[in-house]
Amino acid sequence: MNGFTIATPAQVLAIDVRLPDLDYAAMAPMLVLFGAACLGVLVDAFAPRQSRHTIQFALSFIALTVALLAVIREARVGSRELTADVALAIDGPTLFLQGTLAVLGIVALLLVGERALEKGGPFVSQAAIPVGSEADRRQAREEGATEVFPLTLFALSGMMLFVAANDLLTMFVALEVFSLPLYLLCALARRRRLVSQEAALKYFLLGAFASAFFIFGMALLYGFAGTVSFGGIHDAALLATTSPLLLFTGLAMVAVGLLFKIAAVPFHVWTPDVYQGAPTSVTAFMAACTKVAAFGGLLRVLYVAFDRARWDIEPVIGTIAILTMLVGAILAVTQTDIKRLLAYSSIANAGYLLVGALAFSKEGLSSAMFYLAAYGFTVIAAFAVITLVRDDDGEATHLSRWAGLGREAPLVAGVFTFLMLAFAGIPLTSGFTSKFAVFGAALGVGEAWPVALVIVGVVTSMILAFPYLRVVVMMWLSEPAEQSPTVAIPGAFTSAALMVGVLATLLLGVFPSPVLDLADRAAEFIR
Amino acid sequence: MRFLTQDPTLADFGHDPWWLILLKIVVAFIFGMSMILLGVWFERRVVARMAVRPGLNQVGPFGLLQTLADGIKGILKEDLLPRTADKVVFFFAPTVPAIFALTALSVIPFGPMVSIFGVQTPLQVTDVPVAVLVVLACSAMGIYGIVLGGWASGSTYPLLGGLRSSAQMISYEVAMGLSIVAVFMTAGTMSTSGIVAAQAGGSEASWSIFGWHPTVPSWYAILLIPSFLIFVVSAFGETNRAPFDLPEAETELVAGYMTEYSSIKFLLYLLSEYVAMVVMSSIIATMFLGGWRAPWPITAFWSGANSGWWPLLWFLAKVVLLLFIFVWVRATLPRLRYDQFMKLGWKVLLPVNLIWILLLGGLRVMQDEQFSGRNRWLIIGGAVVAVLLVALLWPARKAEPKTTLEEQMSARPSGSFPLPPLDLQVPPSPRAKRVVAERRPANVTASGAGSGQVADADTDADEKEV
Amino acid sequence: MSLSAYVPILALFALATAFTLFSVGISQIVGPKRYNRAKLEAYECGIEPSPEPVGGGRFPVKFYLTAMLFIIFDIEIIFLYPWAVTFADLGLFGFVEMLLFIGTVFIAYAYVWRRGGLDWD
Repeated sequence: MNGFTIATPAQVLAIDVRLPDLDYAAMAPMLVLFGAACLGVLVDAFAPRQSRHTIQFALSFIALTVALLAVIREARVGSRELTADVALAIDGPTLFLQGTLAVLGIVALLLVGERALEKGGPFVSQAAIPVGSEADRRQAREEGATEVFPLTLFALSGMMLFVAANDLLTMFVALEVFSLPLYLLCALARRRRLVSQEAALKYFLLGAFASAFFIFGMALLYGFAGTVSFGGIHDAALLATTSPLLLFTGLAMVAVGLLFKIAAVPFHVWTPDVYQGAPTSVTAFMAACTKVAAFGGLLRVLYVAFDRARWDIEPVIGTIAILTMLVGAILAVTQTDIKRLLAYSSIANAGYLLVGALAFSKEGLSSAMFYLAAYGFTVIAAFAVITLVRDDDGEATHLSRWAGLGREAPLVAGVFTFLMLAFAGIPLTSGFTSKFAVFGAALGVGEAWPVALVIVGVVTSMILAFPYLRVVVMMWLSEPAEQSPTVAIPGAFTSAALMVGVLATLLLGVFPSPVLDLADRAAEFIR
Repeated sequence: MRFLTQDPTLADFGHDPWWLILLKIVVAFIFGMSMILLGVWFERRVVARMAVRPGLNQVGPFGLLQTLADGIKGILKEDLLPRTADKVVFFFAPTVPAIFALTALSVIPFGPMVSIFGVQTPLQVTDVPVAVLVVLACSAMGIYGIVLGGWASGSTYPLLGGLRSSAQMISYEVAMGLSIVAVFMTAGTMSTSGIVAAQAGGSEASWSIFGWHPTVPSWYAILLIPSFLIFVVSAFGETNRAPFDLPEAETELVAGYMTEYSSIKFLLYLLSEYVAMVVMSSIIATMFLGGWRAPWPITAFWSGANSGWWPLLWFLAKVVLLLFIFVWVRATLPRLRYDQFMKLGWKVLLPVNLIWILLLGGLRVMQDEQFSGRNRWLIIGGAVVAVLLVALLWPARKAEPKTTLEEQMSARPSGSFPLPPLDLQVPPSPRAKRVVAERRPANVTASGAGSGQVADADTDADEKEV
Repeated sequence: MSLSAYVPILALFALATAFTLFSVGISQIVGPKRYNRAKLEAYECGIEPSPEPVGGGRFPVKFYLTAMLFIIFDIEIIFLYPWAVTFADLGLFGFVEMLLFIGTVFIAYAYVWRRGGLDWD
């Protein structure tokens, strides 16, 4: 301060500012996505209306590709480090899951950017306009919202941060960064707008509750360990001489926040409504990417911070896993809406993933990561098919409308049949290999809980096969209904997404070993 | 900079004996109340003089006791409780702004260390490291009284007035909050006495004009003039004073949030407005005008001006000057429209503020970091280019396409009410055929113009009906 | 810095509360009470007051929007204050961080501006 030489009382207080070391290369995927999302907001503010969609899609696509390349580069280098003052852990699982997120994000982005199926795209530009008003009729002719692209990128950057977060505080910030855009995305459906907004509100309110639980648990854990970093909590649990009450209460509350995101029973009640109400492309994005991110976070919390408390938490989370599998499978049988059916199937799949996670072994970790990748591709492809089956009111999601679809559109019905078989875990699909890997890992531990979980898993898989096969039977063997929906001709984007999803499902079922090896090599957390 | 012995620091607070605390808060309270009585008189008197009227001159010497008489009369009036009102909230809402406006007086520095009954103590009720935040919090809490009072009245005008007022106050709170960031950056503290001490200044600049080192001005009103101007403007908005007195725009909202109030509760709202004005004046004086320090020409020939009880005089003089400006503005400027007002707050004050903060921060960092001459110019040039680019690329709003009268007419949905002739010609009365005959040539000559044709058609229609 | 410096603020708060409650209370006692049904109606320029639904009814969404914008910028200000006070110590690093932060909020601001969120009518 030369020009204004004004000494201040505060200068007496010498403040020691310690600058964190930042490895920009390791953080590049997140930074690229975040920067592109900010740029996308500006594009939306300043670009002319008719060119926004093109610019936004190109920007998002390029950003995701660059992020994927950055992850691959980082994986080639083989970096294993804590950066940003131990707030971020760049290790095998982080890179594997970030890569998965980038790829699944690109595929989901193709669905989000599709405009061939509906004039103006599946999103509405001003969701707050009352349905049926004069302004609403005018809006029906207009282009849809292009804010979905920056929102998707924000969500993806949050997810990438979430799987890399190495302390509870960063994890919470990431949780909010990826949740808030999802709440918004849910509310933007052009068709059945009130259902969509209801879904968004439910998701938001319950999500806010879950976040509150998470942050309260974080406070308790801080009270126990005196730090929020996972390594610190691990050390504190190891050395603790005091009562572990704070530890377990805190863990339980943090777990509520995370189990909410992965839709485990009894924190699953939002899932069917949100999956049904949200625009289908957003549902696909949530089903694939949110699951990857939330499980990535949960795995890190369990394996890094709480592996010492394993014996205490196994019964609780094991019970939750059993409930999740049972409730998901049994309620899936009763569904009559295809999106709700997939929602319950996604709940059951969360249960299978928990089986892998509870193995608390390297195999458990790698099989869970493989499962996440395989399931993500299949579920995106399944929702892509759902966007194609339409009638005058948009997508025809009631199961009875799908009857006899095999005669009308054998190709689409065939693809969907293949995906249903993959969900059911039939060999030669990724569903089989991933379930096999997860159950195998659990059996490999050779203890009571994992074995019990595997038994429940196999039984529920058989139950769950029924609703899938019912859809297949309905499509091929039933007579078509009177007003059967038409199958729209997919645009290039949806075709590409569908092709990637189906090919991945097939390849991961037939030649799973490269990806399994990759997951296996990556399956080691650093602390 | 020299810390003189009479400059209070944060360490000097919190040691007063209980009787001194009591004395101080009572004096501060009396100061607030007497400033209301005098302030109302002052305002009415000054406004009257500006309108070339005598103003208050009946009750007491120079009409000084008029406000007191009004207050006593207010207490003796009937206190109405509207049937639709929310009883409890309606009863307590008027107390809220008054309470918090008075509480804000507790951190205003009135003077340096003085001796009161043998105890060395600062002439200030108290000071805390976040004193300015206390003032901001108090002014924000006052909004509750207004919005709750408007809501609890159970009536349309007060509800709208309360909403408008809260929207207005929170909008200007943003501008106000941002404008003092520059003060904190320069002073390095949020305590009011610290900010006054930081403005003692008077040091020589390191840069020179032909070997002459000018004395850097120490008042933040000069040093940080954008912040000062923005703070003053937002202080007007924050206190609901003219030209920003939209919540009580009588042409639109009767009396705004106060419509249903009567008796002392009505007076409490008025009272809180004046206390808020006094607090804002004191804060402006403290943060931008050197606080209780004597202005420059006095200090030049009288070294004792800043010690003892004299600073109280300078402080009061500054506050009265600022109050005069409040009144002067009210007497001069018309009230803004609501959309203009919000536009000023959000689209002008806010971005200007942010850019100013960044500019100031950038300058200070460059001085601290000792960049070489070339790098410094590179950075400055880069920043200038960036600002210019943003300014150039910021798309100007497209001018509203001008539509002709015919287009506007045809754009009206069918079944709309009939319009009067658009060129404001009075349609001829059917009884006055002669007038029509006289007017006809004028219409024929104007038939080339669009509006003339419309009017022509109208008159034709009128004639046919006849 | 002990908390005792905060006591006078509370004391002045108590004094102001006592004063206002006293003055409101005293006017209840000394003021006249003359019941008149018309006097207790809500005032609406002399016409029959419009009946209002319970809870104050609905009002324009603009106010909510202003409130949300206020929260965003108020939080920005809250972050700016500690930075401003320790500005001299944080130096270039702090300045660049704050530049990024203000820039990010500014992006949102530009978006809201362009989308008409700051226009009032």
